[in-house]
Amino acid sequence: MTAVDDTTTSGADAGAADATSPEGVTVMADLRSHLRKSKAGISGIIICSVFALVAIVGPWLPFLPDPAKQSLPDKLTPPVGWGGTWAHPLGTDQLGRDILARLIDGARISLLVGLAAVVIAAILGTTLGLIAGYVGGRIDTLIISAADVQMAFPGVLAGLILVAAFGPSVWLVIVVIAISSWMVFTRVGRSLVLTLKTSLFVEASELSGAPSSRVMWRHLLPNLVSSLITLCVLELAAAILSESAFAFLGFGVQPPRSSWGLMIQQGRNYITDGWWIVTFAGLAISIVVLGVNLLSLWLQSFNDVAEREQIILERPGG
Amino acid sequence: MLRWLARRIIAAALVVFVVTSLVFVVTHVFTDPATVSLPLEATEEHRADRRAALGIDRPLAVQYWDFVSGLVVGDLGESFWQDQPASKLVLERLPATLKLVAGATAVTVLLAAPMGMLAAWWERRFADHAVLGFSMASISAPPFWIGYLLIIVFAVQLGWVPTFGSRGFVSLILPSFAIGLASAGRLAQMTRRGIVEELRKPYAVTALSRGFSRSYTIVHHTFRNVASGFVTMTGWELTRMFTGYTVVIEVVFAWPGVGRLAIHAIENRDLILVQAAVVVLATLVVVTNLLVDIARRMIDPRVELA
Repeated sequence: MTAVDDTTTSGADAGAADATSPEGVTVMADLRSHLRKSKAGISGIIICSVFALVAIVGPWLPFLPDPAKQSLPDKLTPPVGWGGTWAHPLGTDQLGRDILARLIDGARISLLVGLAAVVIAAILGTTLGLIAGYVGGRIDTLIISAADVQMAFPGVLAGLILVAAFGPSVWLVIVVIAISSWMVFTRVGRSLVLTLKTSLFVEASELSGAPSSRVMWRHLLPNLVSSLITLCVLELAAAILSESAFAFLGFGVQPPRSSWGLMIQQGRNYITDGWWIVTFAGLAISIVVLGVNLLSLWLQSFNDVAEREQIILERPGG
Repeated sequence: MLRWLARRIIAAALVVFVVTSLVFVVTHVFTDPATVSLPLEATEEHRADRRAALGIDRPLAVQYWDFVSGLVVGDLGESFWQDQPASKLVLERLPATLKLVAGATAVTVLLAAPMGMLAAWWERRFADHAVLGFSMASISAPPFWIGYLLIIVFAVQLGWVPTFGSRGFVSLILPSFAIGLASAGRLAQMTRRGIVEELRKPYAVTALSRGFSRSYTIVHHTFRNVASGFVTMTGWELTRMFTGYTVVIEVVFAWPGVGRLAIHAIENRDLILVQAAVVVLATLVVVTNLLVDIARRMIDPRVELA
């Protein structure tokens, strides 16, 4: 994910320019026409919408069995096509629970944890980035050093020590993912503010006597929104992957609740006679993360003017 | 150069100091190793005994001083679970983790550099799309799942390699790929983008118009200018490996490294040992970053480093 970081930053300026343009309506129309030309964008949006929908309405889907209902006679039933029946389209796990129902149940946790962590990281990181960039001086040095230290102390290490100290929980996982991604927002936010700080509209507002809090929240922040949204999507992919890794290590959701990472942890002893448990759970994670990644790829190409022109010029209809 | 190096080393040492202090705050201020090691229903008396035994009934400042002076001489406390010095346990496991990271880095570099060059060579053609497809798939799949898929296919079905444990070079192959694929995916895209940008610059256009082939220009001219970024990104991937991937992959492959030790320590409520493992891994991250900065400066002296 870091590989694309620098595009985000360079694309960010272009995005900021978009947001300042007075014709907000044309931006939306532009976005739609650009989307029609991008297969990645469309697939990303479709995957993400299906994921969100399944996560929200999952428990009320009528034809699904109870994800927690055990039935030992049915244990390790293979999926349809490998000798299974439509009663359990994706087969059952070691306790006879329906895999499809458990996957749908697990979607909630992934979405909930991923979104919560990214929202916390974005709010915290952007605030600090705004302050660091706009106020400058010692506060800037302090915040940037903190971000550098955080870079050297990535999430999993913080996760290990916090889980060792406080025991596993979903809330802890959210906090750990949030503290391992806030500095990304801080760095991008700060660098954008530094370039915007000298522009006329900021000077005008300062000269008219606006307090710095007003300049930051009312004038600078709106210019960061489009690039920050792109960044949020990028970080969401990382957050969903981290959640699955923590669940796999047993740090997050505890049984009997299910989560995709936890399903892999529980199914790993059955890879010889029940390969479908691990395979489908991992496939679910991969497809969702792929969807989010495609969406972020498209948002970046849209934010980056040069790239956008390229797509329009060189790939008519591609 | 020397002054820059000295400044850089001091900064790195400071980061290690801050990180370890943060760890101390979590393990000794918010909770303490005695409470963690005992079950919830333990009596207050029992707790007090344990605290006295571990020396954590003393004032925090004294404990902190002990911790910091211990760090300087490499003493990371006594593991409660194993009844041995924590630093010894961690250092015993370190070679296995380093081996795994070396293997994964080899996979990363050997896949990413050629794939990035191929994608740039055939820009917007089939090879480019294929490499993009590989990258998107590899960064979207969780590494531990890739690990299990590799086990299912190559160890269980085909029986080419052993499934678990560390038995020589062969058993290194699957875990290295499980870690390296995602890193290779990211790095290949970065390389491709770098080369494509360089190919539009005047010097590359000149080389091409003088009749050098596209492949020659990529290998001999543009890749050198991308190399500095390549090294930085490889370093980034290394830090990701030290902190995230190895822990998970060591669990998948029952690899006897530091990450798996930390997980076992958590299961056995041994806070001191977890702390030692985390301190060592964080130090490795800082050292990696330092080495990357030095390497970058050696490759491309124009790089301005603060």
